[in-house]
Amino acid sequence: MALTVSGHAVSGHAVIVSVVLSALAAFVRAQDLPGKDLPKGVQPTAHLPTLPTLHVQNPFQPFDQPRFEKAARDLGATELQVKTFAEEVEEIGAARAADDLLRKAVPAFDTAVMAALDGDPKAALELTKVLVDTKSPLLQAHVRYHLARLFLTSDDPERAIDVLNEYIQHNLNHSPLDGEAAYFYAQSLAEIPMIDAALPRFQAFLKWFPEASERLRSAAHQRVLELERQKESRLHMLADGMKKTTRDLRKQKTDKPVQVDQEKYLEELDQLIEMFKQKESQSSGPASGLGPSSAPANQSALPGGEGTVGNLNNKPSLADRWGEMRDSERKKIMADVQNTMPPQYQKMLEEYYKKLGKADRK
Amino acid sequence: MLRFLQERVNKTTKKLDGQPAEQVAKQGDFDKVSHQQDRVKDLMRRLAVKLGKENGAEEGR
Repeated sequence: MALTVSGHAVSGHAVIVSVVLSALAAFVRAQDLPGKDLPKGVQPTAHLPTLPTLHVQNPFQPFDQPRFEKAARDLGATELQVKTFAEEVEEIGAARAADDLLRKAVPAFDTAVMAALDGDPKAALELTKVLVDTKSPLLQAHVRYHLARLFLTSDDPERAIDVLNEYIQHNLNHSPLDGEAAYFYAQSLAEIPMIDAALPRFQAFLKWFPEASERLRSAAHQRVLELERQKESRLHMLADGMKKTTRDLRKQKTDKPVQVDQEKYLEELDQLIEMFKQKESQSSGPASGLGPSSAPANQSALPGGEGTVGNLNNKPSLADRWGEMRDSERKKIMADVQNTMPPQYQKMLEEYYKKLGKADRK
Repeated sequence: MLRFLQERVNKTTKKLDGQPAEQVAKQGDFDKVSHQQDRVKDLMRRLAVKLGKENGAEEGR
């Protein structure tokens, strides 16, 4: 039997792993897992972002179109562009129409968004340059939204949360993009994973943004169902926690909070093993399911992907593109970061590009 | 097996954290332990998915 983990064959341990998995599977099935009569699964606690309180009352105001159009004109939008925007609101929705208008009004923003859509590693730098150069809360909202999406696509949900926290703090109620920002806030939390924080935020998004695009609303419904199922499964919770710790370790975080999380994983595994032993001693024979499956797969594989919203195209990742760049191009970007960015954004971008350089490539 | 693998990751993490200042760990060391943690995560996920499918099949009977 071939066991493939993340595309790497682990044939040396394959048989043992398979037996252990089958035994645990049989045990947990016998215990009516997920969840029944068992303590709550573990969740990581190391280096989690600080979240603002989730308001019981809706902090989002209805989209104020005249106010938005005035702010867009202040940024340089022409009357024709504003008129086109008003027509497009009905056709493609206010959020996308607003983003299109700002891209027409602010060429530097358009260039940065194009780079992001094209998977160009320069996108983070270009977006941050626009952010640094503008005082407009409207444009800041759109830049922060795109930056957060970019970080989320780069498997950096913690940094996406940082940026979206700034959005909530400084840019709320300026753009019809608020609903999408709210969705990706919940999505970032789910990716960390902070499931207990993500669930109410997905539900709030569904309640507060009935006019959001059908694509986002159905994705949010789907995520709520997935997360509720996930919460019931101690093993999924454990895997989610380990995923977070994997990112921490890659970021050179090996301190006490990370070690405490890892100790909790061991304790959780100990509990599962202990229950397995008890079950074994109570049963007269081997639990059903320990034998080979009646219909085994030809090759084992992990379930696909981390979600599809915003990442629907199977194109080279940012890390791939970063890796393919010439040294001189990478050095130029890093020099730009060091020479032109204020300290807080310099640190954010340095860490981002450092992470891109370390990411696994296809 | 999973416990053994996780224990190994924990030990390596502690070792890296306790490195004396003059022996600064390289990024490759962190990548290695991160990869090990990722492998345990993948095995755990695989088990969770397998159970989910089997529970679903039994509920459908």
